[in-house]
Amino acid sequence: MEELNSHGTRQMKVRLTGFGGLSTFIRPPLHRLKSTPCALSSSVLFSSSSPPASQSHQVPLFLRVPKYATPVSDLQKWYSWASDLAASVGSTFLVSDNGPDSSLLCRELRWLLEDALQEDIDPSLIHQVGVNSAQREVNLKTGIEDLYKLWIQRIEERRPFQYIVGCEHWRDLVLCVQEGVLIPRPETEIIIDLVADVISSNRGLKEGFWADLGTGSGAIAIGTARALGGCGNVIATDLSPVAVKVASFNVQRYGLQGVVEVREGSWFEPLKDVQGKLAGLVSNPPYIPSENIPGLQAEVGRHEPKLALDGGVDGMDHLLHLCQGAASMLRTGGFFALETNGEKQSKLILDYMEKEHRGTFYNAKAVPDFAGVLRFVTAFRV
Amino acid sequence: MGMNRRFLLKNLMRAVNQLDPLTSCVTANRPIRRPILLSAFYNACLSARRSCSTVAELQPQLSPDLLKMMDQRLSAIEQRSACLQNLMDRPDISQTEYSRINKELRKLRESMELINELRAKQKEIDGLNSMVKECPDDRDMLDMVNEELRQAMTKEKRLQNSLLKSLLPKDDADERGCILEVRAGTGGEEASLFAMDIFRMYERYSHKKGWKFEVVDIMESGLKGCKEASAAISGAGVYGKLKFESGVHRVQRVPVTEKSGRIHTSAVSVAVLPQADQVDVHLRNEDLRIDTYRAGGAGGQHVNTTNSAVRVTHIPSGIIVSIQDERSQHMNKAKALKVLCAKLYEIERSRIDLERSKLRSDQIGSGDRSERIRTYNFPQGRVTDHRVGITSHAIDDILMGEDLDVFVDALLLQQEMDAIASFSANQ
Repeated sequence: MEELNSHGTRQMKVRLTGFGGLSTFIRPPLHRLKSTPCALSSSVLFSSSSPPASQSHQVPLFLRVPKYATPVSDLQKWYSWASDLAASVGSTFLVSDNGPDSSLLCRELRWLLEDALQEDIDPSLIHQVGVNSAQREVNLKTGIEDLYKLWIQRIEERRPFQYIVGCEHWRDLVLCVQEGVLIPRPETEIIIDLVADVISSNRGLKEGFWADLGTGSGAIAIGTARALGGCGNVIATDLSPVAVKVASFNVQRYGLQGVVEVREGSWFEPLKDVQGKLAGLVSNPPYIPSENIPGLQAEVGRHEPKLALDGGVDGMDHLLHLCQGAASMLRTGGFFALETNGEKQSKLILDYMEKEHRGTFYNAKAVPDFAGVLRFVTAFRV
Repeated sequence: MGMNRRFLLKNLMRAVNQLDPLTSCVTANRPIRRPILLSAFYNACLSARRSCSTVAELQPQLSPDLLKMMDQRLSAIEQRSACLQNLMDRPDISQTEYSRINKELRKLRESMELINELRAKQKEIDGLNSMVKECPDDRDMLDMVNEELRQAMTKEKRLQNSLLKSLLPKDDADERGCILEVRAGTGGEEASLFAMDIFRMYERYSHKKGWKFEVVDIMESGLKGCKEASAAISGAGVYGKLKFESGVHRVQRVPVTEKSGRIHTSAVSVAVLPQADQVDVHLRNEDLRIDTYRAGGAGGQHVNTTNSAVRVTHIPSGIIVSIQDERSQHMNKAKALKVLCAKLYEIERSRIDLERSKLRSDQIGSGDRSERIRTYNFPQGRVTDHRVGITSHAIDDILMGEDLDVFVDALLLQQEMDAIASFSANQ
């Protein structure tokens, strides 16, 4: 371990070969790992007694059982190594593709530790250096070698932090995410505020059917369901079976299975039974122009699902498709909200609605996010 | 120790009540601090490591002057309550008028219940006293009546103390949580290190009390110290206990960086603000501007970031709060608003204080930020609070958040005594 640290992790290649020998060096003795059936960690999460047969959703780190007894000194060694690795990045990612810099990575490391550590221990104990700490043990939710592997993935492969810990904090929720599911963006949080504003003055909308198209992790659907306060219902749809499983898991974790229904399918196809009845239709559809996909930040381009990102030429394909179908899906007075790329796309949508669907919508407008970008289009069905 | 403590307390309260200063302290500019009496009392308590009680639990004999003043106030309350009740019974009363009167009556209700109990008890005592006069020779009867008389008078005293407490000026903010701000003052790196020590001390104290301690921001300095650190502490009655921490804390010790072993003196300033919500400060969304960091490029789906820092600007006052360390934008924004509301609330309270009588701003807990309130001397292993003249010799325990109650309880007692003084002054 000393060798690794003194290299200062300046040259990535050297570190890679160094890591090969590392796993034999730090593998904990087998007797430390208490054996527990794998099913246990996910079965404790479900309200029903037996776990589902196929579990293609992964259990996020913070929900796992802290069964890996680890000496504090080992944990401190890992943390010190990981900090150095993060520091060595500097601003190289930032410059190359707008990725994270060292200070962001250091903060992510703190959060990784928080998620991995047993609940009742203060993470800042990692900084306490003392004679006693070597003898003390803590329980981790994954093996220490896994922590090394995960951080290498973060830095070497630019695997998104949210996939590493298996969750994303979004609004006041903690949503499970994994490869195959788009990681909910901070900007999208505003859609729930827009929904809340609309239903605060409109009891009829609050009690109706809402739809979240392309739900991914279920973020918007869950946020909307909580805003509706038990009065209405939400149908969340997604083309991807992985997204459907993950969204269902998140819905269940928040006890909303009676309110939110997750359906698999493309856009309006799974919604034939509520045609013309929707009180609200919201979506964050893929809106990145195809030509921009290759140049994306590595975390996004290499790891997040293209299905959730690619919006075709100009990025407008799905946005326009949703505009076309919204009129027939919404009931009179129904609310419509879309997230877009920014000013250009928002204006295009408003123009389109004005030209091709004149008289169908009223009060159509573009709403900015907190960075001042005109990111949302909202309207009401006539 | 129990007997000695009661004896000490009784003597203390008798001395306090006999001191003419109860009225004459009003004429002086500052209320007389009674550090010597309190010191002796608390050092005795400290040696027995018992925490100290407040006025209402002591049941001392209240002085006749105080009782007379109290009685005047109580009669005034009774009259007001009766008058309001009459107004309310009028048949032609409007809805708004009714609810206004009801609101005031509700505020008086607690006092009225105690007053009625007191009056009833006093009537009972009168009755018992006349019984004593009527049969001075009947030994058994006399014993029984005297016993009942003694119990009734004890109860009367307890009621009088409760009523006194209810009449004393109270700070509504005492029930709230608080925002704690610690700032390194003079002393360079050593002050930063001590600032962090103090910050951790409050964190441990909060955990001990079962309060929630959420770090808002830490501006780190070189050697694991902090230039500034702030936290939101939530729980019942947090502000009432922590408000006394506002001021300058002075530390005397040999810094870790010091090679020659010389003792340095540095300072750390602490500010404690009561938490407030948007309703308290009449916060309007139109008055806020919220900014987030704009990634180069389009943002949204194009970017995967864990940076959800939020900056909230309150346009009318120009106050800016930035929060970045929560894991979601929503939580960063919520925290920023919490801090903003506390700051706005503090501004409003200071404004009101300036308008109130001078006596209140001289009292303990009024938060004069530049007042040097405590000295931590490491070589001698002691911590002294200068306002109440209390010294603790368990400096390590104090920094572990263990013994802060010693100071807090003494300061609370001092606050109550000051409140009694101001009550007397206002009659």
